[in-house]
Amino acid sequence: MIDLFPLYLTLKVSIVATFFSVFIGLGLAWLMARKEFVGKGFLDALVMQPLVIPPTVLGYYLLVLLGRSSPLGRFLEETLGITLVFTWKGAVIATFVASLPLFVRPARAAIEGVDKNLENAARLLGKNEWDVLKTITIPLAWRGIVAGSIMAFARATGEFGATLMVAGNIPGMTQTLSIAIYDAVQMGNTNLANLLVGIITLFSFSVIYFVNRFTKGRY
Amino acid sequence: MSLSFHLKKHFHSFSIDIGFSTEENMSVLFGPSGAGKSLLLNLLSGIVKPDQGFVRIEEREVFNSETGINVPIRDRHIGYLFQDYALFPHMTVFENIAYGINHLPKNKIKTKVEELLDLMRLGGLEHRFPKELSGGQKQRAALARTLAAEPRILLLDEPFSALDYQVREKLRADLLMIHQRYPITTLFVTHDLEETFVMGENIAIINNGRLEQFGAREEVFYKPKTKNVAKFLGARNIFTGRVVSLVGTTAVIENPEIGEVKALIHPEEVELSLGQKITFGIRPEEIMVIRPDKPIDKKVQDNILDGEILTTLGKGASHTVYFKVKDRDATLKIEIPNFAYRKLKLHKGKIITISLKKESVWIISERQAMGER
Repeated sequence: MIDLFPLYLTLKVSIVATFFSVFIGLGLAWLMARKEFVGKGFLDALVMQPLVIPPTVLGYYLLVLLGRSSPLGRFLEETLGITLVFTWKGAVIATFVASLPLFVRPARAAIEGVDKNLENAARLLGKNEWDVLKTITIPLAWRGIVAGSIMAFARATGEFGATLMVAGNIPGMTQTLSIAIYDAVQMGNTNLANLLVGIITLFSFSVIYFVNRFTKGRY
Repeated sequence: MSLSFHLKKHFHSFSIDIGFSTEENMSVLFGPSGAGKSLLLNLLSGIVKPDQGFVRIEEREVFNSETGINVPIRDRHIGYLFQDYALFPHMTVFENIAYGINHLPKNKIKTKVEELLDLMRLGGLEHRFPKELSGGQKQRAALARTLAAEPRILLLDEPFSALDYQVREKLRADLLMIHQRYPITTLFVTHDLEETFVMGENIAIINNGRLEQFGAREEVFYKPKTKNVAKFLGARNIFTGRVVSLVGTTAVIENPEIGEVKALIHPEEVELSLGQKITFGIRPEEIMVIRPDKPIDKKVQDNILDGEILTTLGKGASHTVYFKVKDRDATLKIEIPNFAYRKLKLHKGKIITISLKKESVWIISERQAMGER
């Protein structure tokens, strides 16, 4: 009997992390595309860091930031009772940070691609900023937002380095699919490795295929 | 609704400083490209924030830099028709028109949209998307969407510039009809001279971010206040001269290229003194060609000039004739309707007599003319 826990955990972590990426990332993408503010360049560089920084370095930063010895980690644990390090929640945080730029980048480009006059036309017809975002900007940037979500999700399912640093490799607790594959290869369990690799390949392939079909040519 | 404003905005290489007041009618903002016409509409509507000034609609201020009033775009109730129409591409014609009133009950929305579809000759197209419409249909759909929200002021930014000539003419007629039905204070931006004349009850001439002249159509066309206004409005016969006599309402101007020209003046409008240097001119369509077989009419007995036709140019409904004054240097441009051109048997090289009616000769004193640059 093969243990399907890594597959289940990977899906859980990826879905939750992508959910955060989309909600927080949409706000960031909108801010970067439509507003001018002090520190915009810095924020942009910060959000994009995970694209260039080694995942282990990113994981190390998160470990230091969220660990028991940091003020933030202590606050979360003592006041809110949340432990992030070496739990599946830690894996979510690591995966979220690593996949956020893959959502923000296409989403920002898509929002920038929406004609500002369309937004102005909506304002002139009496709509507030939230209505404009909901009825004009997001529907017209839809394809970029969906593409970004998929990219973020794909990155999330394959996350390895940062997750390993923050959440560790605890079978049945924090062992995700990519970590399980690494483990299986290390142990010489080729059959298990082949199966897990097969699952993840089929999954990634079908996601991209259906998304391409879904987002093809509207308007 | 009355609209009055004065707005200033400074950019690196361009500044705008324009203000006037207008009532319930159609005012055309005319000027060359880059004069700041579209920018003015953006400042009025709140899309671009002015540095200084005020905008007042009826009695309510929607912007005032001194008191810090800056009503958000959505609460100004200004209708704005963009040059590219800005129809929402992901909504049907019906949804576009209903967009600004979708807080109303469903049956009210339906009644209103259907009324506008009918008025704009868009019946049967309500389920189409903007990309499935022709240019003229898009333009009408955009206008319907704007009118549905019942704006207090209507701003039209070169609404017909992207359309062919025939469509444009029809839409102009439509717009005038709609304007009669919904008499909204309207600012209409164009750089088309014919459009300016057809559409404008009032005309504002804008150049380089400044207002050159604002007034009723006839006043602006026939009594230009600055040399630029005269030039933009197609007055080609512009000369300078000196006042040599002032008797009652008639001034005699001496100019070496034409000779002596009499002009009717309104002393309350133009202050003239003897010997003063002035600019004067006459619109090409105001010059009369005198029929040799008839005695000269009393009305046109002033400023009679003999000369020769240098060249003629047919264009549409009229002919342009270039006339050289006998024994002098001046060349005058004359615009003659085709029927008159044929009747008078005009052709290149023909010797003719013309009259510059003295009430058609306009004058700008050099002091005013200096103020323009």
